[in-house]
Amino acid sequence: MIRALFRHSRHIFLLSFVAVGLSACGVNNVPQYDEKTKAAWSEVLNQYQRRTDLVPNLVETVAGYARQEQQTLTAVVEARAKATQMQLPPDILTNPAAFKQFQENQTALSGALARLLVVTEQYPDLKSNQNFLSLQSQLEGTENRIAIARRDYIGTVQTYNTELRTIPGRWIAAVLYPDAKVKETFTISEQAQEVPKVKF
Amino acid sequence: MVRFHRVRAVLWAMLGVALFVYAVADRAIAAEPQFPPLSGRVVDEAGVLSAPTREKITGWLEQYEQASQRQVVVATVKSLQGYPIEDFGYRLGRFWGIGEKGRNTGAILLVAPTERAVRIEVGYGLEGELTDAVSRAIIEREILPAFRQGNFEQGITAGTGAVLRALGWNGAPAATNAAPGGTVDGLVPLGFIIFIVLFAMLRHGRHGLWIVPMGHGFGGRRSGGRFSGGGGSFGGGGASGHW
Repeated sequence: MIRALFRHSRHIFLLSFVAVGLSACGVNNVPQYDEKTKAAWSEVLNQYQRRTDLVPNLVETVAGYARQEQQTLTAVVEARAKATQMQLPPDILTNPAAFKQFQENQTALSGALARLLVVTEQYPDLKSNQNFLSLQSQLEGTENRIAIARRDYIGTVQTYNTELRTIPGRWIAAVLYPDAKVKETFTISEQAQEVPKVKF
Repeated sequence: MVRFHRVRAVLWAMLGVALFVYAVADRAIAAEPQFPPLSGRVVDEAGVLSAPTREKITGWLEQYEQASQRQVVVATVKSLQGYPIEDFGYRLGRFWGIGEKGRNTGAILLVAPTERAVRIEVGYGLEGELTDAVSRAIIEREILPAFRQGNFEQGITAGTGAVLRALGWNGAPAATNAAPGGTVDGLVPLGFIIFIVLFAMLRHGRHGLWIVPMGHGFGGRRSGGRFSGGGGSFGGGGASGHW
């Protein structure tokens, strides 16, 4: 009886040793990094959404002062519509085509907004409008948040993809997480996305 | 026996390669600017503040933290090291960990005299009160006019006061565009209060009664009452200005 218990405890000891050893060599890394990329991605979406929400107000304010800029305003509205109409597939992070489409839509909106802000330079009344100033600083802040969210996302994906493609993570994933796939990341530079700063 | 040795050699070599790759990858990812150490609530690396001003602002920031558990820090830097101030600011905030961990209730007034740039960097948790628009207004109205005249002391003092007021703290006197002499009256009792508070805290500190509202778990290292960040993060909130 005692001997049986002894043998049993030895097994438990061995098992716990193996468990600790496995977690130390990163058996949980793939799901952990996976969760981090998901969190970073939702922050990216959150910030893009925030920008999308700002656009109608901005367009309305600018339109009040600069009706003749109809073309630029329409371009912004259309780019926004295109960005919001896109249905994001659940596998967007591992789906290169969908990810590229998402990126292109958002970049198009960035470009249209940048042109709108350049145009507003010619309207002193608009530039001194408090509502416009507030919207403009919100837009600038949101662009900044988007840049940071993208950078954070790129960082988490880099860690995750490296884990999946290097040994021993590669072996661990092959055995334990066969569904894990390398994720997409942003390729268009932030510079191309940046809205030019308006000086006063 | 020979085989065992060979296996062991291979394992060691693999470990060596893994460590090397890890070190290289780590350095490649961490391409960060060099930040000054967080020596206090006012880090004047650029050296634009006089000692009394520094102490006055430190006093406000300390009182504010005690009242609200939030951390506001003023930093002046010699150089942004080629980074845009928006980029430098959030990295600095994360590096110092200003604000409470998890709630991210921190803010930094960052001044770069060399690049003629100023930024109010706002942690996630304070973005609702110190919005981008409010930050922009503070920079345009309180800070830039003084900076344009080269008066950093006044700009930073007024800016810090305005930031604290926007965050709902009324302990800092509203000194907007007031003549330098006009603020002295209001500051005497404040200085006195700060003195009393500091004195009381020092006394308590001796008896091991020091209670620090943030950064729990650093007790041993911080027994001297030195200021340190609470582990808050930043996501790009706030506004910037140039002069």
